[in-house]
Amino acid sequence: MAAPMELSCWGGGWGLPSVHPESLTVMAYAKFSGAPLTVNAINNCWRAPKGEVPILISEDTVISQPAKILNFLRKQKYNADYELSAKQGADTLAYIALLEEKLLPALLHTFWVEAENYCSVTKPWFASRIPFPLSLYLPGKMSREALNRILLTRGGPPLYSLTEVEAQIYRDAKECLNLLSKRLGTSQFFFGNRPSTLDAFVFGFLAPLYKVCFPRVQLQEHLKQLPNLCRFCDDILSCYFRLAVSGHSPAGQDTVDANLQKLTQLVNKESNLIEKIRLSLFLCRWTTTFVRVLSIPLES
Amino acid sequence: MALAAEAFMTQLAAAEPWPENAALYQQLKDEQILLSDNASSLAVQAFLQMCNLPVRVVCRANAEYMSPSGKVPFIHVGNQVVSELGPIVQFVKAKGHSLSDGLDEVQKAEMKAYMELVNNMLLTAELYLQWCDDVTVEEVLEDVDQCCQALSQRLGTQPYFFNKQCKGLTFQYRRLVPKIRPTELDALVFGHLFTILTTQLTSDELSEKVKNYSNLIAFCRRIEQQYFEGHDKDSSSSATSRSAKRSLLR
Repeated sequence: MAAPMELSCWGGGWGLPSVHPESLTVMAYAKFSGAPLTVNAINNCWRAPKGEVPILISEDTVISQPAKILNFLRKQKYNADYELSAKQGADTLAYIALLEEKLLPALLHTFWVEAENYCSVTKPWFASRIPFPLSLYLPGKMSREALNRILLTRGGPPLYSLTEVEAQIYRDAKECLNLLSKRLGTSQFFFGNRPSTLDAFVFGFLAPLYKVCFPRVQLQEHLKQLPNLCRFCDDILSCYFRLAVSGHSPAGQDTVDANLQKLTQLVNKESNLIEKIRLSLFLCRWTTTFVRVLSIPLES
Repeated sequence: MALAAEAFMTQLAAAEPWPENAALYQQLKDEQILLSDNASSLAVQAFLQMCNLPVRVVCRANAEYMSPSGKVPFIHVGNQVVSELGPIVQFVKAKGHSLSDGLDEVQKAEMKAYMELVNNMLLTAELYLQWCDDVTVEEVLEDVDQCCQALSQRLGTQPYFFNKQCKGLTFQYRRLVPKIRPTELDALVFGHLFTILTTQLTSDELSEKVKNYSNLIAFCRRIEQQYFEGHDKDSSSSATSRSAKRSLLR
């Protein structure tokens, strides 16, 4: 069973090993089940991932999507659910469906659709990890895909306008957070004292919402009013990822923030420069055409 | 805007009791209605029966166009029109009838989670089989199998998914209402499973998946017997008459 396994996923920030929910879910499950994964964070060199991130590569097998990756790990005998009863296994499936239907749309909206959040946090962060010139195109594409997903699943009648859809998805997300908080209660994990698949999914979805510093934070504020969910995320971060919890940002975090700021400025400068070049080329062409057009009557 | 309208509607709903002439509208049974719509309609009918609220089923070819949301089924109660199971459950709750009041908070969370599972997997599978027909049907069938396995494990040997006991017995329609009451999750699961089991499709794979779980079949049979047989309230054919030709009781 010792075939080496490599996970390609989005990297970390704000005290998290990854800011991408699906990547974080897989990383958490690997920690819970003891699976030895080599994690490769996507950076801006030219080795682009082959499919939807996160991707697990083991010898010649390439697997994407968290559910399939977790299934593969279980088949390799890395199973975090072996102590669960049949009913608890069924509950896991049901709660994951709840997360995907009720929480995920609002999460996608907070990261990718809410204009202020997207422009000041999400786009610069992802752009700095994608090689140029893809960095100018890919974040926009991911944003459009997120919006499509939200409208496709939640945008049907009678909710015709985006504002109505937004109000509905945030209301559903807050209800989902309340339900999760009630279900967790005072336990350490969702099923007893050992973390399982459900804990990995909940952590993967909640931790980015909890930790990433956005300007528009309505869902984050709601989450912070549910102390048992916050404690749940902090416990997993400190026990399984050995990362300092909010309150003490280690020196490394400051360097990361400073680097991020520099990169943001660089990306903005690049886009400004490209805009200027494009504009000047257009003006040149237009001027040439204009002169040619004007000179025709004179020649004839 | 939509939230304010909903709050206003809840207030209106609370004002009047349930009338005798409430009607549920769906498309025409044999020629028009689709698998997924039939399942949704049956779920609502089961839910209203479980609440002991009389409703007659009316089949109209233009049901979708009459519906406020474009989706069927919808109910016409007094001078209000409400469509889809979720809003109908809220509407009925505003009138003072609820199946899940006796559940504690953790159980309510569980119930909502299982309802999302059914919507996520079974409804998607029904929609898929109606409209698409290619190689990825194996993935869809696997999802259905997983969902049925989860439902079967959750149900176990109990009569319903949540078995909260209620006080007292009342006589309704010449039978005793059982002490343990079902919830809207039971109605939803019944609607979908019954439709899958009794509708003839081009292939039997979907119903074969469900038939692997004997406790789910017993569950459907039990609800059919308790809430649908012997009731002759509607002028058009009763909810399960179409499937009488393909009865579960084989």
